[in-house]
Amino acid sequence: MSLPALLNKIIYHLFFLLTVFFAVIIGSNAQEIDLLLKGGHVIDPKNGISETMDVAISGKTILKVAKNIPESSAKKTINLKGYYITPGLIDMHVHVFHGTDTDSYIANALTSLPPDGFTFRSGVTTVVDAGSSGWRNFRQFKEQTIDESQTRVLALLNIVGTGMYGRYEEQNVMDMNPTMTANMITKMFPEILVGIKSAHYWGDFTQVDIAVEAGKLAKVPVMVDFGEHQPPNSIEELFMVHLRPGDIFTHTFSYGPNNRETIVDEDLKVKPFIFEAQKRGINFDVGHGGGAFSFRQAIPAIQQGFMPDVISSDLHTQSMNSGFKDMPNLLSKFMNMGLSLEEVVHRATWSPAQVINREDLGHLDPGAEADIAVFTLREGDFGFLDIRRTKIDGDKRLETEMTIRAGRVVWDLNGLNSPYWDTELKK
Amino acid sequence: MRQELSIRPILIIILCMVFSFRSFGQEYDFLIKGAYLIDAKNDIRDIMDVAVSDGKIMAVSKNLSEDSAKKVISASGMILSPGLIDPHTHVFVGSKTGAFADGFNSVSPDDFTFRSGITTVVDAGTSGWRNFTTFKNNVIDPSRTRVLAFLNIAGTGMSGNPTQENILDMDPEKAYETLQQFPDILVGIKIGHYTGPEWLPFENALEASGRAGKPLLVECHLPQYSLADQLEKMRPGDIITHSFEEIDERLPIIDPEGRLHPFVKAAYDRGVNFDVGHGGAGFWFSQAIPAYQQGLVPNSFGTDLHRFSMNSGMKNMLNVMSKFINIGMSLEDVIERASWQTAKAIHREDLGHLSVGAVADLTLLRLNEGNFGFIDAGKNKIEGNNKLETELTMKDGKVVYDLNGLAANKYQ
Repeated sequence: MSLPALLNKIIYHLFFLLTVFFAVIIGSNAQEIDLLLKGGHVIDPKNGISETMDVAISGKTILKVAKNIPESSAKKTINLKGYYITPGLIDMHVHVFHGTDTDSYIANALTSLPPDGFTFRSGVTTVVDAGSSGWRNFRQFKEQTIDESQTRVLALLNIVGTGMYGRYEEQNVMDMNPTMTANMITKMFPEILVGIKSAHYWGDFTQVDIAVEAGKLAKVPVMVDFGEHQPPNSIEELFMVHLRPGDIFTHTFSYGPNNRETIVDEDLKVKPFIFEAQKRGINFDVGHGGGAFSFRQAIPAIQQGFMPDVISSDLHTQSMNSGFKDMPNLLSKFMNMGLSLEEVVHRATWSPAQVINREDLGHLDPGAEADIAVFTLREGDFGFLDIRRTKIDGDKRLETEMTIRAGRVVWDLNGLNSPYWDTELKK
Repeated sequence: MRQELSIRPILIIILCMVFSFRSFGQEYDFLIKGAYLIDAKNDIRDIMDVAVSDGKIMAVSKNLSEDSAKKVISASGMILSPGLIDPHTHVFVGSKTGAFADGFNSVSPDDFTFRSGITTVVDAGTSGWRNFTTFKNNVIDPSRTRVLAFLNIAGTGMSGNPTQENILDMDPEKAYETLQQFPDILVGIKIGHYTGPEWLPFENALEASGRAGKPLLVECHLPQYSLADQLEKMRPGDIITHSFEEIDERLPIIDPEGRLHPFVKAAYDRGVNFDVGHGGAGFWFSQAIPAYQQGLVPNSFGTDLHRFSMNSGMKNMLNVMSKFINIGMSLEDVIERASWQTAKAIHREDLGHLSVGAVADLTLLRLNEGNFGFIDAGKNKIEGNNKLETELTMKDGKVVYDLNGLAANKYQ
């Protein structure tokens, strides 16, 4: 090749590279707004926002949250005046390892349920399965549920290898393997596995201690369901000696069964060490379920200044049609017990995101995946049940108007995102 | 002495009253008071009290005494309907990815029914004779919802291709035998999902259902059978679903000029039942509105519930029913079709009404007023002022869903 030809070639390549370079720069600067949510009241606890703002979405991500973003800058605008816009809810305690193994009760079994039927209609975009699977059957859970769901499904891995297969398997200390549990979390599925579950153990502190050992290896939190010890174990000892700051206590407002020590005593006083435990960094999770939420625990606790850190459902077939019903119902229940809308949204978005160390979720930062919920706050005469079939009256109820997952509308109750049916006929 | 004499008869009277109240007071488990009862079978559209005990309807009458029940549910301003029946669902849920039969594309019935006022669902041929017992063991028996089913003429039901289209496995004899074996669960035969031109599958389905004296449900994905031929072969009482579909593979019932095809109206008038079968793609306002205006009112409001319809314009059966209220049907007409008319269509006349002695499957609904919107399969919408909401659902005399705690005691 002659020198001029070589120079020519170099210049040609340089020109090509420059063109690509500028195209990339221009492209990134002129990101288009695919969807503009206009005029809604945005509640974004991470960013301290609770006021009327517009939310711009580009592709799968949030472009910006600002006042008065012009409609002309967006391909599509949805007017949300009068609605509340929040980050997509995170339900930190569910059981969704659905399957048809009739010998099992939660792992690959009928008590678990497929997530998508409950999430989007409730404003939920992320769920955390609370230990339905262990390291032995997590791959099956991933293959048949997690990979197939539109909902973002994260999971706590049960310290028991077979997860929640049956109560007897859950007593098997020989199948509580901290090394395999930690390896699966850190080496194999770090994007999905966010912690460890310890539950349904009948003995002493052995199971919790093994779970914490695995938690230390994997540097993730441990969630404890502490309801079946015979005799009951001291929760003060659990909080102050066995758990680490950042670990999670679930079924916080449970009253019964008898083996479960309550956080509120029989004189309806919050036990003093509960406040200390929360100060120490123990996270208190609601985990409502079919048997774990009683007004006689929650109402005195809230009145005495104790608030749960995370509001979650413990969704499974025995809880879904009971006092729990869905996340908006549960959040509304807490609002009618005295929490503000901002306080309940925080406990179902940014707070759980921090607890599970997934700070990419639960907020509306620019660049975050566009998981968004839109709610109506209905006013009227409503009632809310606990699991003992007692009720409180209330005048507020959240209803899910729209849910967006990764920039796509996945639930639209009243067709805010749709044209009128005869639009085409009129053209 | 005088005192004693005067007190004794009074005491006796008081004791008698206490005992009579006690025995009287335990007569009913529940008394639902003051609701607007819509019960087509018994020709009732009126404010009535309904008493329930031991899973059965015990009394339907004006002004039943509150003292007669352990639990009184005040239901003024609400609508009391027999438990709704969804005649078109896919609930053979399992862990097979990409499949309806024993698969992830089906959904669990209890997740959707009670919160929508439904107490009975009919599975639309997700299983066939080869896998019906799996369906029964995994879903029908463990569910709290009453699950009935149309049996697919294909032996493996909606198992995906190629098995579901294997013409050699569409055995009318086996299908008929299975219907006879499970008469309390199986309400008919279904044909759908056959892309070949032969009429043998359709004829086998007609034969099996005809021998059992039960209806044939004609679903979709039969692209080589013309709509006219399908309706021609169907008998009065057979059911066509996805009535308001507007997709390529089947002729829409409304022509491009907005007219209902006369042969469709003729089939309807002849007694072929038209089910909504909403689904993800089976309901279009551009079909339903002109059809309704030209006299084709759906006989039932099947949702075609499955994984791809649940979060779409369908949402739940009350949402589908509310669409038709906002298109122009009366509340009474909609409720009657979703209960008694559907029960008759599947030959289950033990269901869909609140006669004394009938099973206590019922629902309390509210007709909310406001500004609502409803979406179809093309993501087009109508606006409306009325929308049904479930307050409470009772199955076999037990409260299985209670939105606002109507049947609960107050805390403290």
